[in-house]
Amino acid sequence: MLTTVLQFAFFMFSVALLLNLLRFFRGPDLLDRILALDTIYINSLALLILLGMWHHTSFYFEAALLIAMLGFIGTVAAAKFLLRGDIIE
Amino acid sequence: METLYAITVGTLTACSVYLILRARSFPIVIGLTMLSYAVNLFLFSSGRLVIDQVPIIGAGEPYTDPLPQALVLTAIVIGFAMTAYSIILAVRVRGEFGSDEVNEPNYQAEQEDKR
Amino acid sequence: MYLALMVALPFLGAIAPLLVRHHSRRTISYAAGAVAVVSLLLLGYLTPSVLAGEVPQFLATWLPQLGLHVAFRLDGLSLLFAALILGIGLLIIIYAHFYLSQHDDAGRFYACLLLFMGSMLGIVTADNLILLWFFWELTSISSFLLIGFWFHQSNARRGARMALAITGAGGLALLAGILLIGNIAGSYQLDAVFAAADAIRAHSLYVPALLLVLIGAFTKSAQFPFQFWLPHAMAAPTPVSAYLHSATMVKAGIFLLARLFPVLGGTFEWFTIVTLVGLATMLFGAYFALLKNDLKGLLAFSTISHLGLITMLLGLGTHGALLAALFHILNHATFKAGLFMIAGIIDHETGSRDLRKLGGLRKAMPMTMWLAMITSAAMAGVPLLNGFLSKEMFFTEAYQQHLFGGLSWFIPVLVTLGAMLSVAYSIRFVYDVFFDKAHELPKQPHEPPIMMRVPVLILAALCITVGIAPMIMVSGFLTPALTSVAGADAEVYIALWHGFNLPLLMSVLALLGGIIIYLQRTELFNFNRQFDIRDAKDVFAGIVSRVTRFCDNLMQRIETGSLQRYMAALFILVLVFVIPELMNISALTGSRPQLDVDAISLSGAIILMAAAFGAVIFHRQRLTSLLMLSVVGLMVSLVFIQFSAPDLAMTQLVVEVVSILLMILALFFMPQRIPRSSTGGRVARDILIAGFVGGVVGSITFALLTRPFSSISDYFLANSVPGGGGTNVVNVILVDFRGFDTLGEITVLAIAAAGIHKLLNNLRPFMPSGDVDGRAWHQVKHPMMLQTISQLVLPLALMVSMYIFLRGHNLPGGGFIAGLVTAAAMILQYMANGVDWVKERFNYNYQSLAAIGVLIASLTGVGSWLFGANFLTSWFTYLDWPIVGKFEIATAILFDLGVYLTVIGATLMILANFGQMTTRHRPRQEGH
Repeated sequence: MLTTVLQFAFFMFSVALLLNLLRFFRGPDLLDRILALDTIYINSLALLILLGMWHHTSFYFEAALLIAMLGFIGTVAAAKFLLRGDIIE
Repeated sequence: METLYAITVGTLTACSVYLILRARSFPIVIGLTMLSYAVNLFLFSSGRLVIDQVPIIGAGEPYTDPLPQALVLTAIVIGFAMTAYSIILAVRVRGEFGSDEVNEPNYQAEQEDKR
Repeated sequence: MYLALMVALPFLGAIAPLLVRHHSRRTISYAAGAVAVVSLLLLGYLTPSVLAGEVPQFLATWLPQLGLHVAFRLDGLSLLFAALILGIGLLIIIYAHFYLSQHDDAGRFYACLLLFMGSMLGIVTADNLILLWFFWELTSISSFLLIGFWFHQSNARRGARMALAITGAGGLALLAGILLIGNIAGSYQLDAVFAAADAIRAHSLYVPALLLVLIGAFTKSAQFPFQFWLPHAMAAPTPVSAYLHSATMVKAGIFLLARLFPVLGGTFEWFTIVTLVGLATMLFGAYFALLKNDLKGLLAFSTISHLGLITMLLGLGTHGALLAALFHILNHATFKAGLFMIAGIIDHETGSRDLRKLGGLRKAMPMTMWLAMITSAAMAGVPLLNGFLSKEMFFTEAYQQHLFGGLSWFIPVLVTLGAMLSVAYSIRFVYDVFFDKAHELPKQPHEPPIMMRVPVLILAALCITVGIAPMIMVSGFLTPALTSVAGADAEVYIALWHGFNLPLLMSVLALLGGIIIYLQRTELFNFNRQFDIRDAKDVFAGIVSRVTRFCDNLMQRIETGSLQRYMAALFILVLVFVIPELMNISALTGSRPQLDVDAISLSGAIILMAAAFGAVIFHRQRLTSLLMLSVVGLMVSLVFIQFSAPDLAMTQLVVEVVSILLMILALFFMPQRIPRSSTGGRVARDILIAGFVGGVVGSITFALLTRPFSSISDYFLANSVPGGGGTNVVNVILVDFRGFDTLGEITVLAIAAAGIHKLLNNLRPFMPSGDVDGRAWHQVKHPMMLQTISQLVLPLALMVSMYIFLRGHNLPGGGFIAGLVTAAAMILQYMANGVDWVKERFNYNYQSLAAIGVLIASLTGVGSWLFGANFLTSWFTYLDWPIVGKFEIATAILFDLGVYLTVIGATLMILANFGQMTTRHRPRQEGH
């Protein structure tokens, strides 16, 4: 049962990632792209968790933790750049 | 899977080489960073592709080769130092010459004369 | 030991004249003279044993891997030359004391002279061929300094340059020759080389080796066709000419021929080349010596001529010829040094060296006239003087050889002709200066100071005594010298009178013919005027300028200043080297079983490649391109996760975010739009190159991936827990097994950060006032929401980094990742709250943080020494803690702490300093 659910989840998140990619390329605005990037981060995070469950291991969870935290910092920086140009002032 | 991995590394290399051959500093910096990713992936491949055999004692035998991983980890950090240095160099050049052209200013003038 | 001291003394003593250079001239000269005297005494101390047939040797290893030793020997040949070098050197020092004017820097002069003296001593006493070559080059350099002593004169500079270029090029040829010889003999030590003489002569590389050595010797000794530098070297002060161009430097080539005669000599090639070159040089020099109007020019060409004579004797190579050569080396040094000194005296006292202006000096300078007559008579070969004896022996050998079969007669004829010319220019030297009618001269001529004449007097006295009693004076010297050149049991016999024979007839003919030629010299001058003889200087300058022009053109074509082109050339070169290797592989696919592709990996790969292409496509829209790069980085870290490398994935993630932050920071200072600059052709070329490189790298990766491999990692896996006390093998490798690499790596990181810190100094960046589309920046600097969230994130992030740091030894994590996480969290504070806010709360110097990190890591390594272990040996134990349970303590964690601090320090040093560019905390260096 869990196997089926996991496979389904894997599939859905892969499709989500590809759709993110589409948005990322199409834009049209920089804001859309930043948003797409942030969503790619989130979806990758989800994939990592799924992978850990699939392999019955917890070694991948720290990486997921880092994505959660650092993806945020990257997005903030890009947004701040759009807002002010200079991100550290 | 090996084929896919090789194609990915090849694509990454090709894209970064193209970027490195541009005339402006910023694409070159991006190209250099991407090339370092490609190189890391290539170095990593010397341990071959192994799924779910984390080299942590106790996680269950067999283990994948830890040595390429240690080397690549070092390479990532050094690559970061190099990227950072090239970025600052680009900014410095822009500050000094007011341009982000990587070619020698004289060369550019010569090319225009010829036209 | 005394031997090495004797050679080293002039080098050490070269400092002495410089130390006292502010004292009086007398002190400086005494200092220089003392050095020469002590060396001469050391030589005197060693002489008896050499005369008794021993060969004192000294050996100290220098670079044994290259066969290079500091090895000296003092055999008969070395003794003969060393005596010449030191003896005449001492006389020159005395002479120069009076010759140099008050304006000349005597300290520098004597220092160079002693340097040269030491180099020459090194050549003649070296027992190792490479060492010999080393000193050989030193003479080139020190003679360059001496010839160019009056560096304010352009002809002195030019002469010095030319001498250096020719002798330096010859030196390179010599080195090649020596390497060939040493390779054949298997050693560069002279004894071994002598022992291998037959093998060397029989070897197929004998002729190239011989030619290379001969080029070296001929350039140094100004043999035809390399003779042209010597007359131009006459721009040197006369003491230098007297020393370098009579007794020593030009004799170095002769010495080399004599030294290597047992190894290279006696073959047909040797005989033909050396004899004919010597003969040509002798005639050439003698002819032009007669034509010269400059006193020193005359002597220079006559030196060339006499060197040719000696070379020819060495070429003939018979027992008698070798003896004659050695004897003439001695004789030529004595009379030619004297003649140069006389030329210097005349120049010094009259202000002119021009034979057309000089004349009638016999009244003003009678003593000098007598000395000049004796020495030039010796040069001409007048009986009862030393020159006569060696010339007579020379005639005998020239007459007795039968090396050209039926045409052998032409050698004695040409030799006699050369001797006639020699007599003629000797007469000219004396007659035109002292007897011809007097002219107006720049100075009123008078006798020089007595001490200036003493060196000449000594030399002239030697000419006479040797000429009258050769066996008493020099046979003791010549016997061991001849033994070392010609082999065992050499017998020296020099007679004054051989009876009426052909050589005597040749001498008489030479004297008579010389007088006739001198009397008819105007005819000769007119005859010579028909030829448009280009000065060697111009030819040389022409060649030099042509070579320079060619190189300039070449450089302009290659070095266009286009970095793009260099880069493209580099990639193409890589392809040229790699593609043939790839084509050699029979099949790209190896035998290793391959994994199946799954849907997630496929979509991940698609995203990765699409983002990479995106970065290229959008490379003129910088932020977009950057975001694409960010996706690539993220996907790469997912690849690492997929293939069992959680440590790598985490490192990649943090590094990627931090680099993106840095690039966004830099983006602010970059032009916002990039014009389309590349032409279609260029784009096509770049795509082609990029495609090929990508294809090649992909193929190599594939070939690598599909082949089985063996690794040294079993050792690490087996010893990680028992040896390093950690279960995360990657981390244990980093901080323990290969800790030294990591130490180097964090040092590099810290250095790069320091370099960036310096690059930011006084930088005035361009700052745009609005975004790409021209909209003004937003008013609010620090949005409140961001501030609040980031302040919440900081403690969380610090906790995460602590966690990752502490568990790193056993589970994925470690100092690198933890450091980068901390740094990223700090940067977030800078972004959300501004530099001032952070400075208020955390005003710490990141440079010292990085330095402390490196220090801790190094000290951890050094600490193992205290326990008698090797650098960076780690130690660990297990502790039972309440609540926490069994806990491991390892010194490796201390090392990792160093790594952690360095990474934080370096990263913040880069990012925070760069971020401060636009604030009042801008890095500035006063007084820059």
